[in-house]
Amino acid sequence: MREAIRFGRNGTVREVRDVHPRTTLLDWLRLGERRTGTKEGCAEGDCGACTVALGRLVDGRVVYEPVNSCILLLGQCDGADVVAVEDIAADGALHPVQEAMVTHHGSQCGFCTPGIVMSLFTLYEEGERPVGRDAVNDALAGNLCRCTGYRPIVDAALDACATAKDRRFEAHREAAACALGEIAADGADLFMRDEGRFFAAPASEESLAALLARHPDATILAGATDVGLWITKSLMEIEKIVWLGRVASLRETRSTPETLTLGAMVSHADAHAALAAIDPDLGELMRRFGSIQVRASGTVGGNIANGSPIGDLPPALIALGAKLHLAGAKGTRTLPLEDFFLGYRQQDREPGEYVRAVEIDKLRRHDAFRCFKVTKRLDEDISAVMGAFRLHLEGRRIARARIAFGGMAATPKRAPLAEAALVGLDLDDELAWAPALDALAQDYRPMSDHRASAEYRAVVARNLLFKALAEIAGDAGLRIAPRPAGLAAE
Amino acid sequence: MTPATTFVGSPVSRVDGPAKVTGAAVYAADFDIPHLAHASIVQARVPAGRIAAIDTRAAEAAPGVLAVMTHETTRRLPWHPRDPRPGVDPKAGERLHVLQDDVVRYDGQPVALVVAQSEEQARAAADLVRVDYAPTAARTRFDVAYARAPSEATAKAGRPGDTSRGDPEGAFAQAPVRVDVPFVQPREQHAAIEPHATIAAWDEDGRLTLWDKSQWVDNVRTEIAHVFGLAEDRIRVISPFVGGAFGSGLRTWPHVTLAALAAERVGRPVRLALTRRQLFTNTGFRPHTESRVRLGAFPDGRLTAILHEATGQTSTYEEYAETTLTPARQLYACPNVATRYRLLDMNVNTPSPMRGPGAATGELFLETAMDELAHALGMNPLELRRANLAKTDPDSGKPWSSNALAACWDQAAARFGWADRPRTDEARRAGRERIGSGMASAFYPAHRAKARARVTLYANGGAMIQAATSDMGPGTYTALSQVAADALGLPLEQVRVEIGDSALPPAPAHGGSITMATLGNAVANACAALRETLGADGEGDLTPALRRSGRDSAAAEGASSPGKEAQEYESAAFGAVFAEVRVDPELGTVRVARLVGGYDVGRVVNPKLARSQCIGGMVQGIGMALSEEAVFDRHCGRVMNANLSDYLVPVCADVGALEAFFVESDDRVFNPLGVKGLAEIALCGVAAAIVNAVYDATGLRMREVPVTPERIVTAQAARGR
Ligand SMILES: Cc1cc2nc3c(=O)[nH]c(=O)nc-3n(C[C@H](O)[C@H](O)[C@H](O)COP(=O)(O)OP(=O)(O)OC[C@H]3O[C@@H](n4cnc5c(N)ncnc54)[C@H](O)[C@@H]3O)c2cc1C
Ligand code: FES
Ligand code: FES
Repeated sequence: MREAIRFGRNGTVREVRDVHPRTTLLDWLRLGERRTGTKEGCAEGDCGACTVALGRLVDGRVVYEPVNSCILLLGQCDGADVVAVEDIAADGALHPVQEAMVTHHGSQCGFCTPGIVMSLFTLYEEGERPVGRDAVNDALAGNLCRCTGYRPIVDAALDACATAKDRRFEAHREAAACALGEIAADGADLFMRDEGRFFAAPASEESLAALLARHPDATILAGATDVGLWITKSLMEIEKIVWLGRVASLRETRSTPETLTLGAMVSHADAHAALAAIDPDLGELMRRFGSIQVRASGTVGGNIANGSPIGDLPPALIALGAKLHLAGAKGTRTLPLEDFFLGYRQQDREPGEYVRAVEIDKLRRHDAFRCFKVTKRLDEDISAVMGAFRLHLEGRRIARARIAFGGMAATPKRAPLAEAALVGLDLDDELAWAPALDALAQDYRPMSDHRASAEYRAVVARNLLFKALAEIAGDAGLRIAPRPAGLAAE
Repeated sequence: MTPATTFVGSPVSRVDGPAKVTGAAVYAADFDIPHLAHASIVQARVPAGRIAAIDTRAAEAAPGVLAVMTHETTRRLPWHPRDPRPGVDPKAGERLHVLQDDVVRYDGQPVALVVAQSEEQARAAADLVRVDYAPTAARTRFDVAYARAPSEATAKAGRPGDTSRGDPEGAFAQAPVRVDVPFVQPREQHAAIEPHATIAAWDEDGRLTLWDKSQWVDNVRTEIAHVFGLAEDRIRVISPFVGGAFGSGLRTWPHVTLAALAAERVGRPVRLALTRRQLFTNTGFRPHTESRVRLGAFPDGRLTAILHEATGQTSTYEEYAETTLTPARQLYACPNVATRYRLLDMNVNTPSPMRGPGAATGELFLETAMDELAHALGMNPLELRRANLAKTDPDSGKPWSSNALAACWDQAAARFGWADRPRTDEARRAGRERIGSGMASAFYPAHRAKARARVTLYANGGAMIQAATSDMGPGTYTALSQVAADALGLPLEQVRVEIGDSALPPAPAHGGSITMATLGNAVANACAALRETLGADGEGDLTPALRRSGRDSAAAEGASSPGKEAQEYESAAFGAVFAEVRVDPELGTVRVARLVGGYDVGRVVNPKLARSQCIGGMVQGIGMALSEEAVFDRHCGRVMNANLSDYLVPVCADVGALEAFFVESDDRVFNPLGVKGLAEIALCGVAAAIVNAVYDATGLRMREVPVTPERIVTAQAARGR
């Protein structure tokens, strides 16, 4: 058992043992270390001003991802290397992205700049070349700038990444690998502070189950992209935190020809490619999931366990057909994903139980899939409505259908009546679709809130089903699984 | 060798760039002041009423708490009136006397303040303060039936209730072609990425230092002097870097007073940083405004009548008013014009200027109506504008000090390819999407104010420029360096600029696009004065003259203020904006594929800074058109989306191809430097161009922004019925 959080800072191992379990990385940097280059613009993961790079050991090499330090707890840095904006200019020479930001006038007021620099830093250091405008858009989706209109920043990014990678940072990376190797080697459970107030990170599922049995009231923490907001926004006084980040088995991805199993702690970033391989629409859904920072931290298990009616993954996975694996002191159990969601923010999960993995049914021969996320803003926006559709076709006839929507009910929910009405329909007979479209009005009684009105949601759900049918009817030859090779990737 | 004196007009990189990209630039919340305590505001949860009881015991007992301040335990401050009021303050009503009485005027008003050792402790304890309210009737619904005319003081300050020239009603009634267009622009928030924060520290002699986020440090000093009844020289305000403000940093908001009160109470420096949510109700916003524009024209497009009415919201305690109707009076030549401005007192905090205040709103209304008129006339919208060019100011009859609006129209239209825009239904279709094109004019009055600047030249060839102005982002540091480098004959890197400190020579508000026209000239004059003192002639490096004088350094001050040109001429920046949108009619999503803006802003001191300013403004215009709206719940009187995940400012991917350029212009009549100012103009016209393009794409007349997917789908459904 280890009692200190250990992480890498500029080539050395830092140990911290006396902070409050809720302390965020941002507060530790700004208030603890007096490193104020990293900024706070919202404390809710929305603006990216607080972005730092977090490096984790992957096959002996440290790989960096941008994260929102305002909603990342310091304990989540355990085993990682923390790089902030002050750390990347080596010996007074600016990093190439900093240089390009100066040349292209990427700052006006400069308050967003440290976060933008760190997002571009990870793009520069980890992104594949060549870097195009789309990659830059993705890299910046989680960074708001109110002054520049983004264009000078995009130019800076394209320019910095146009030339061969400057190798200056490699020395830092190697030093970090040593430091992180040392931390990884201990394999110990982490337990900081005392039984009444702690940050714990068990290193195995056995320790995890035991700890949760002892503290069924503890908050399970995955990526903290939801829990972080409970702390910074709702001021929830969480005293006991069990972080899953050190349990290697929860990070596994397994793929067979029929199924894809994602461990609960697989981040959205890591799940992206595997999901995109099932269908390009899933790839696009993941690309638009939050921002690159949110995808680096946020996990598949967290998105499901959080049980939000507007979470993006559950409807998509329910439409595909997915099983949820749960575990706890009493053993394991498995249930269809849709059965996990009982009511508004209420799930079929016992105290002390945790989500282990989700097992997704891949598309088979003659299956077609579509999913759409409708938002006001193109990127980094929560869905007003999210719809997902899986059809099994016999020729041009619909043999089976699974439909699930987010934003249409208190939970992610299937549309049994519309599904039934679709069976037997002809893809080429648009007029015959009407009963299925109409059935959605019976399947769902959406709510009005500040994101969208109930009427709008109902109209959009209907339009989405229509869009899915029209698209599948239109390019049925192309996008019905198995797709010809080469179309699977985005 | 003397360096070439051509920094003004050249695209030099921002001098503060390196500090910003390394995190070295220090903003208000970053200052490391020893023994700092932290304060957190408790906000009212009813829109109107009285505080019946307030229980602070639990908060006081919470860990780390140093003090809990309420109206019952806070000393009464003098709150002396300002005379005259600063230009950024409303002309009537009285500012919020925070923690001085039990009256709740709006939801979110500070009703208590907790001071603690750490920020987390302060916030946690603030949550424990129990307040019981005796609610009273509140006006939380925007209903023009209750609107009233502005007071005389407001009217005198360029925001009159009723104006008329010619015979507007008669001309409208007789006009061969008429349109009558209602429109709604909702409350919008500045949403700068840096939240407002203040650190206050009193020294043993009762002197107060404030590290604050401000666009006008001198005004913070004067305001706090009046609030506390202190002499101004007892107060110093420091604000070297401002993380964007767009108007939110013009006034001195109540939290500055709270920070100073808290520091006084606990005898330690105190930091009060507003949370993102608190920013919505503790600083200003662009007021919800509803409008009706009636236009009458002859078949050839000449306007014969403009009647524009607008009602803006203000708070119950201050009369904030805007120049919303100025464009109706000045933008186009029209003999018969009437404007009617009304205000609606609501239980909200007081609105404040936000980028392009008045004009951006007024032009959204006017320019969408002009588009409707063009279609009613069956005329090219660009030709309609051309037919109504105002060769002199149509309101005062005075000449423009310069006006290149026609060049803006022509050149921007050419760059956009307006003549070749898709015009058939067929050409407007791209798969499921519809393509549309739209345009609008832009106009923002140019002003100058009084300022001083100091220059100090050192024998080693370094120079220091000092003034109490600010740089919230546009590049004051850089542009003043350029002016000084030219005037002193020095390389740019030898000039240092020190601003954002009330101890420096006085400057006006850094807002309203007046900074360069004001400070730029003051710096030039200071440098000229120094040249004269040193007995040097017209140009070239001034350091040899200094060395000859045998001194280590020499300093001079220069001033600048508007001259008689302000009486003889009207001055304004102009522009033309063209937009191309793509609309998905089934999902209602609108994407701005292209924006081209051509601007007449006078002389351009730094094309790199200027282009960046304009593009930034255009992107705010995209937000205004498509996504920005503070959703105000009329039942509870509260902003429902007070955060950056629901108050939607544009993200990188929302931004298509953008082009901003400047037409040939140099306004030496307006001021010797020839600049007119370019921050505000960049927002003007953009939203109108986009809304007009949406009509072109879909045939839907959207008369409320933002044009959200929901509004398009609803309008589409309504048309289908
Ligand atoms: C800026 C921003 C943008 C976002 N955008 C999107 C978006 O586009 N779409 C979307 O769907 N969501 C979005 N989210 C929400 C959030 O990112 C996701 O729900 C994310 O998947 C949560 O995962 P996490 O690992 O961060 O969960 P955490 O915050 O760590 O946990 C979430 C909840 O799940 C519980 N939990 C986590 N893991 C387990 C487990 N294995 N077993 C049992 N319980 C567990 C936690 O106790 C907690 O109740 C966004 C959030 C932010 C801040
Ligand atoms: S401070 Fe805005 S995302 Fe962290
Ligand atoms: S430069 Fe001001 S927010 Fe980006």
